[in-house]
Amino acid sequence: MRTKVRGTSPQMALARILEALGQELIDASDEEILEAARDLGIDPTMKGSAAFAGLKFPATPRLSDFFELDVGRRLRAPEADAALPNPNTRQEE
Amino acid sequence: MHRVPQLVDKRILRPTETFLALGLSSEMEVLRLKTLARLYARGLPSDVSWEDLLQEALTRVLVGSRRQPAGVTMVAFLAGVMRSLKAEHWRRVLNGPGRPDTLRIDDQTAGPRATALTDPTPGPERSLIARQEVMAIERLFAGDPVALKIITGLGEGLSAEQIRQAAGLSETDYGSARRRMRRVLLREGLTCEPK
Repeated sequence: MRTKVRGTSPQMALARILEALGQELIDASDEEILEAARDLGIDPTMKGSAAFAGLKFPATPRLSDFFELDVGRRLRAPEADAALPNPNTRQEE
Repeated sequence: MHRVPQLVDKRILRPTETFLALGLSSEMEVLRLKTLARLYARGLPSDVSWEDLLQEALTRVLVGSRRQPAGVTMVAFLAGVMRSLKAEHWRRVLNGPGRPDTLRIDDQTAGPRATALTDPTPGPERSLIARQEVMAIERLFAGDPVALKIITGLGEGLSAEQIRQAAGLSETDYGSARRRMRRVLLREGLTCEPK
């Protein structure tokens, strides 16, 4: 009877590879990060650097990040607005 | 007539910004976390992005549901949180939403009960995603045969020593290949392009 050989499952192989490569990234020095950024033409020390896309600002900017859209206003709870005092009317003592 | 909408007057801070403002991580550490998140997001369905994975991990730490153990660096700790979030995601996908029929070990109710058992083995979708991601990782190192041998060895669960012996690499060659691989991974992790 032939011996049945079971290969590594793709999930297991992927998990092992990600674990090992993740450790490489954890161990990477700041200088190595800056060098890799320089390869991409990115300067992480600059304000608003593209390196921080997805971290300090969205990687894919949406219109709602900049403009107050009607849909956003409609989503606001009307009760929350009603609970706030109206700045145009004087409160009764 | 075309009307320009008003500019937003309320800005919601992202967990990364809060993390930086509280001094919990430096900017370099945050960049390192980005590279890790982009790596760990491989193998997740396309509706879960690396941003989701990272911001969720940071949120868990900020709200106190995950506490950093003493002696573990913040980056290593958050890497672990991201890995566990990924495992949690797949568990939820396999088990479905909620398990109301879970039996307690000290359950006293008499009589038989029907309980549907889910198959814990990964489905074909997950296998296919994993296979594609392994191939995508191999493509990153396509021009580097030594790195490809290392990737194959890692996938088979070999130790560094076993990989060196199987591939016939000296310690220096192995170290140089690891440095090249780290550079490729960092470039891939810092890019602004979507996964």
